[in-house]
Amino acid sequence: MSDFRQNHLLAALSATQLKRLSRDLEAIEMPLGDALYESGRQPQYVYFPTTSIISLLYVLESGASAQIAVVGNDGVVGVSLFMGGETTPSRAVVQSAGLGYRLAARAIKHEFIRGGPLQGLMLRYTQSLITQMAQTAVCNRHHSVDQQLARWLLHSIDRLAVPHITMTQELIASMLGVRREGVTEAAGRLQKAGVISYRRGQISVLDRRKLERLSCECYEVVRKETARLLPWVPPH
Amino acid sequence: MEESARSAPIRNQLLERLPRARRVQVIARCERVQLVNMESIAEAGGEMRNVYFPTGSSISMLVPMGESLPPEVRLAGSEGFYGISVALGMTISPVHVRVQEPGSAWRIGSAAFRRELARTPTLRDCVNRYIFVIMTQLMRNAGCNRFHSVPQRVARRLLMMADRAHSATFHLTHESLANVLGVRRVGVTEAASALQRHRLIEYSRGSVTVLDRPGLERASCACYRDDIALYRRYLG
Repeated sequence: MSDFRQNHLLAALSATQLKRLSRDLEAIEMPLGDALYESGRQPQYVYFPTTSIISLLYVLESGASAQIAVVGNDGVVGVSLFMGGETTPSRAVVQSAGLGYRLAARAIKHEFIRGGPLQGLMLRYTQSLITQMAQTAVCNRHHSVDQQLARWLLHSIDRLAVPHITMTQELIASMLGVRREGVTEAAGRLQKAGVISYRRGQISVLDRRKLERLSCECYEVVRKETARLLPWVPPH
Repeated sequence: MEESARSAPIRNQLLERLPRARRVQVIARCERVQLVNMESIAEAGGEMRNVYFPTGSSISMLVPMGESLPPEVRLAGSEGFYGISVALGMTISPVHVRVQEPGSAWRIGSAAFRRELARTPTLRDCVNRYIFVIMTQLMRNAGCNRFHSVPQRVARRLLMMADRAHSATFHLTHESLANVLGVRRVGVTEAASALQRHRLIEYSRGSVTVLDRPGLERASCACYRDDIALYRRYLG
């Protein structure tokens, strides 16, 4: 059974605030590949993942996309809603199936405008998201596919209870904005080195330490910043 | 160098958006300062003492990556402000912050800025919209970094710099441009030479002049045009 306190952002709210919001919180399933948002649309809900992971992607005119952030039980999808955006600039896709909660746009806006702890938490989370986005934008230019794959795997398993993630290489490729062969080769190298195993769409991280060494520094920069900004998220 | 605050004309577009009485109130808390080229505004991990509203100058935020020249994540000019992290409730800077284009700015202490935000909902609203715009731009950069060619990105960057310098001529070295774009210097030199051959720009002794703006816009990727549309919609 899913509990909304499994989302660390919701869990950090005061009892009174949670009580007010709980009427509008709705538990939902998030199947792999489902799009919660399409870019340019007006979002109706914000989403608080509990056991699922959502990828935020920027979609170019050509249809190509690049991942900009990963949101799991540490955060919320739909920050643009309370920052005054009329439409969402990104596509939000479920990259690891699981559960989560959604909250109507009206309810979160209302609560945000009231100020108080929820506003502070959301602003802090926004800062951590900005850090992740800035680092990813730079990473996309500076680091190899191998390093980026390692970074993405680490960010993903940090948001899961177990070090396994079910994913097709095609999805990973579209997420990282690289060719599929690039992902196949990089995953092959990680597997050969005994860092991951990859079988029937399931990636298991076998040697986390080594994966951290193979990742670019972007993983550590974002992890540290997140720990500093969101102290209520348990360390990995 | 500081001059008398209240006589100078305001040209910061974010402050311009405020109702007159609120603008006067915020500016009364600001000092007018002259920013010097490459002056340090904040260090990654250091305290953010002040917030700046550029009025002709521009401020660059750089990701610390353990390299001698850290790559840029964003550039703030008179269209916005430096101090998003302060507005989000933070005190420690996640990035290095440097003056990119010398010139004037309004400066306000971080604590005073937070007080103004708390008591002026219209300022909070403007600031949040600006944060939304910046997040959108960070996402776009992640895509642009990944998919667009070096010549397109060089053209986009030159247009952005001309806009923020409020002049067709501005300071620039190939080295700093290569660094900002995260590409090898020779790639930037080739792209700049091609733009010069087509009489779109003129480059001499560390300064660039844009000769044919529409031509340079055509040479840029769509990201420049999309940025302008975004500014008009949310900050215009």
